[in-house]
Amino acid sequence: MQEMIDRLRSEALAAIHAADGEPALEAVRVAVLGRKGSLTGLLRGLKDLEGDAKRDAGAALNALKDELTAALDARLLAFSGARPVTAHAYDLTLPGRAPAPLGSRHPLLTVLEGICDIFYGMGFSRDDGPEVELDYYNFTALNFPDDHPARDIQDTFYFNEKVLLRTQTSPVQVRMMEQREPPLACIFPGRVYRNENADASHSSEFFQIEGLVVDRAVSMADLKDTVDTFVRNFFGAEAPTRFRPHYFPFTEPSVEVDMQCVACGGSGCGVCKQTGWLEIMGAGMVHPNVFRAAGYPDDRYTGFAFGMGIDRIAMLKYGISDIRLLYENDLRFLNQFRGVQ
Amino acid sequence: MKISLEWLSDFVSWDDEPAALAVRLTAAGLNVEGIEEIRRTFPGVVVARVLEREKHPDADRLSLCKVDDGTGSPVQVVCGAPNVRAGITVLFARVGAELPGDFRIKKSKIRGVESCGMICSAAELELGLEGSGIVELETDLPNGTPADELYGFQDTVFEVEVTPNRPDWLSHVGVAREVAAIYGTKMSLPPIWNAVQGGESLGVKVRVEDYADCGRYTAWGAQRVKIGPSPRWMQNRLRAIGARPINNVVDITNYVLFELGQPLHAFDRGQLAGSAITVRRAPEKTSVVTLDGQTREIEAGTLLICDEKGPVALAGVMGLGNSEVTAQTTEILLESAFFNPSHVRRASRRMGLISESSYRFERGADWDMVERAALRALQLLQEHTGARIVPDWADRHDPDHRPADPLRLRVWQVNRVLGTAVTTDQVAQILQRLGLKVQPMGNAESISASAVNMMVHVPTHRRDLSLEVDLIEEIARIHGLDQLTGRGGYRIPGGAVKRPRDVARDRLRGWLSACGYAEIVTSSFMEAGDHDHLGLPADDPRRRTLAVVNPRHGGDTQMRTLLAPSALVVSRRNLNAGSTPPLRFFQINRVFRTDLPLGRELRQADEVLLPAEPEYLQLVVAGWRETGLGGVPADLLEMRGAVESLSAFLRVPLTLEPGTDEVWLDDGAAWRVRDAAGRVVGLAGRVAPGVLAAFDVDAPVALAEIRLDDLDLTPAPARFEAFIRFPAVKRDLSLLVPAAVSFGQVRDTVAEAGGPLLESSELFDIYRGKGVPEGRAAYGIRLKFRSAKGSLKGETVDAAIGTILAALRDRWAIEPRG
Repeated sequence: MQEMIDRLRSEALAAIHAADGEPALEAVRVAVLGRKGSLTGLLRGLKDLEGDAKRDAGAALNALKDELTAALDARLLAFSGARPVTAHAYDLTLPGRAPAPLGSRHPLLTVLEGICDIFYGMGFSRDDGPEVELDYYNFTALNFPDDHPARDIQDTFYFNEKVLLRTQTSPVQVRMMEQREPPLACIFPGRVYRNENADASHSSEFFQIEGLVVDRAVSMADLKDTVDTFVRNFFGAEAPTRFRPHYFPFTEPSVEVDMQCVACGGSGCGVCKQTGWLEIMGAGMVHPNVFRAAGYPDDRYTGFAFGMGIDRIAMLKYGISDIRLLYENDLRFLNQFRGVQ
Repeated sequence: MKISLEWLSDFVSWDDEPAALAVRLTAAGLNVEGIEEIRRTFPGVVVARVLEREKHPDADRLSLCKVDDGTGSPVQVVCGAPNVRAGITVLFARVGAELPGDFRIKKSKIRGVESCGMICSAAELELGLEGSGIVELETDLPNGTPADELYGFQDTVFEVEVTPNRPDWLSHVGVAREVAAIYGTKMSLPPIWNAVQGGESLGVKVRVEDYADCGRYTAWGAQRVKIGPSPRWMQNRLRAIGARPINNVVDITNYVLFELGQPLHAFDRGQLAGSAITVRRAPEKTSVVTLDGQTREIEAGTLLICDEKGPVALAGVMGLGNSEVTAQTTEILLESAFFNPSHVRRASRRMGLISESSYRFERGADWDMVERAALRALQLLQEHTGARIVPDWADRHDPDHRPADPLRLRVWQVNRVLGTAVTTDQVAQILQRLGLKVQPMGNAESISASAVNMMVHVPTHRRDLSLEVDLIEEIARIHGLDQLTGRGGYRIPGGAVKRPRDVARDRLRGWLSACGYAEIVTSSFMEAGDHDHLGLPADDPRRRTLAVVNPRHGGDTQMRTLLAPSALVVSRRNLNAGSTPPLRFFQINRVFRTDLPLGRELRQADEVLLPAEPEYLQLVVAGWRETGLGGVPADLLEMRGAVESLSAFLRVPLTLEPGTDEVWLDDGAAWRVRDAAGRVVGLAGRVAPGVLAAFDVDAPVALAEIRLDDLDLTPAPARFEAFIRFPAVKRDLSLLVPAAVSFGQVRDTVAEAGGPLLESSELFDIYRGKGVPEGRAAYGIRLKFRSAKGSLKGETVDAAIGTILAALRDRWAIEPRG
């Protein structure tokens, strides 16, 4: 029996090797493994054997069947152009080695730089100012009278009567105008502070970006244009915006700017609290008293200013539900912002 | 601020659903933040009289009553209230009635006795009235009158956000004016008391010490006042906007405040000493008890209302308990005044006491409303307390007070600021709709920078309108901000200037993140113990922090003077969270140093009070316990390598010099980083083990810090130099270096001795152990030689190597190995 098996093995392997195409290979398969094939015949013959002989022959025939099947498959793969995995010298499924581990950029600053890029494209320059600021720049020069309720809008950290942590990026407006004559178009990103307790939507430290344009005849319509251009570029969609009258001491007229909710398209959802609108910035025409504080002659210039919270925009963009996540510096959070954003 | 639409409709009408009105108001700048529907009905609850009351046969605390509910046949009902008795008029819930909380009244048996309904308490009907037990009504109400006629109430209430510039919106009449302007309709004011001439005198003299503190003070009298509950419609309205009814007199003063915006105060005349009221400042610190029962310290200078004995009210803020209206009050002195806004604000801040009055006074009261509000209150007092109004009153006001000057308006400027093309007529119409008086000027149609088209007279309730631009805002609001159309994007003359520093910083961030560092944003505050945990000496200037004087409860107060603590806190957090080390972080952040020069030109003298805010780049590697070349910790090698790479990346020469001035760094494992001029601009190294322990960090932390302000981030562009095309010759040296000699010394000697032909030397191995003598290490160094003149000959290189080996032997006793 063993002899017959050995002979069959060498003949079959030779025939597989000699086959010059798929039809020839198929013929070999039928001749050996088919219903009337030689190996099938030997398997049928097992029933005439007994005891150890039957068991040994059965095992050998089955092993041969596996071997020949594998050889047929391998040969077939060769005809079809593919190569069996075992044909390689290396295990190419092993994990690779990165040139360097991948770090991440903080989502807040990614959004901040992204916003700056859009305004660079529109012709704005960039500047910054101190975070520990004089009451004068943060309030007085911005037309917040002393002892006026307007100061309550922003809870302020004070160091003494004259020095505080800026509550807004707006003081940089005045510093800029003190140093330069119009025309000017500038953005001022940076960190600001409010003396309030942290919760899911409030942090005592957060980021804002301020914009200022001053020229001989800049108008509220130009502001609307600028805002629309920004929204279109940043959110990548034709999201309508609307102006709602509001009050800021340093602009007159003052508005709050809403954009149609990016999550629901204006039909109302949890993100926009069912209103269909998202408040994205405060804005307005620079108040004449601010020009006066900056030393510009009355009536010579007009200008607009706007300010927006970067945290909120980052949260919107990335679907972050709790502002505190931005300041915890947990790698399980930070690692989600690897790569191109 | 809450606005009841039911109340509002007294003064103005509008043809819109509440939601649509809310949208119009929001578009006009009065942001409606919430709309609340109030529907209070009591189906099946009626007025009834208790005919008989006897004790329940089976329960001591229960009564068995027969009531007449107007149906003709008496109804038997069990009642548990102690105050039930025959003859009183009550609210009765018939079988089938529905009470608040989905409570349905059914016929039932209580301790074996049938009960067909329920006599109701105020709480069961959620009436919000004072007192316990069942409600006792006036006896003249007919039985069977539905409770809805008495207490039923439907209203829609707006929660509105009123900006500080619009105190006039803090009243229903003020909002009515806006509604009238929006819809172009008329509005009316509530009725007032028609003063009767002659008769009794008030008998009170008013004196105002300084009109700067109090521009106007009026006092009015009402006698034979009967204190009791205020009328139900008034209670309903007050409750609808969130105020609590107290009694008729107090409710009337509150009602007028919410109706007209003018705070009033009612004194119990019987409790006032003497017949003189003086408005004056407190000469010294004193202690008083306010209406809310609190004892308060008041500072010298606080404005007070005083009788002949002393203070009876904190001007504009709150009355005192000593002259409060009580159930026994029969005579009232009513105050209506105009207090200086900032004075009220300061007093209210200092005491931490913000009242409805102070809230309005500090935003600015309406001069003309002082008198009208008092007259309205008197009319209500007469009608609802049975009071007899004293026909005479006291009125003291600043003799120099003048109405505001009219404002000049140029239509040219309107269109310049808004980018619109509105006409003189349109402008005039809008302003008139807002109740402003417009006086056309001669050249009404001329539009130019110098042509004043109209003079605008501003009423006393719009003292926020003081400049031409304020009028322009009004025009924008009413004209409609959605009408603005741009001219296709404002083009900035000159265009953007991207600062090289911003460019460099942004590239740096991108590069570091690609190197495996995660960017962090840490707080500008540091914790109180951080300086001690770092072990900073007592005289270290970085201990001189700026501290916030009014921090949040439990918040940090000190501005950070260095970044190190934040690196340790972030490392600890992430190591504890189980992230796999090594952890890499970087941050670019400011610190706040009062000891360093500001480094910019001062524009305001006070700027000397500001700290310098230098910006640092910090790299952190935490939790890495492996060692690298020569047994040096891997994190240290990475910090050195990072600073060297940073130097190459920014093209700013930086060198590392072993040693440190920082007590919180491990002395033997730290460098100073110097710039080309030799100035120390940063540091690198491992945090000292004791400091790690103080910050509760259970793993090594290495960091590097560079002060970015010190670096020139705009290096000159690279300049191409022709490179040598002749091949290099490479030779490897294996050197036995004594332990006392550092690689740096070897490197320097090799470079010096190698001469111009030596292009580079590179350390590729350090080996100690078998085959190397004790006290020595085998250094594998690869040398590369090249000449600009031609291919190097073997002998030339051999000679150069000979010179190098000789120098190493002579200077450091270094021998070649094998």
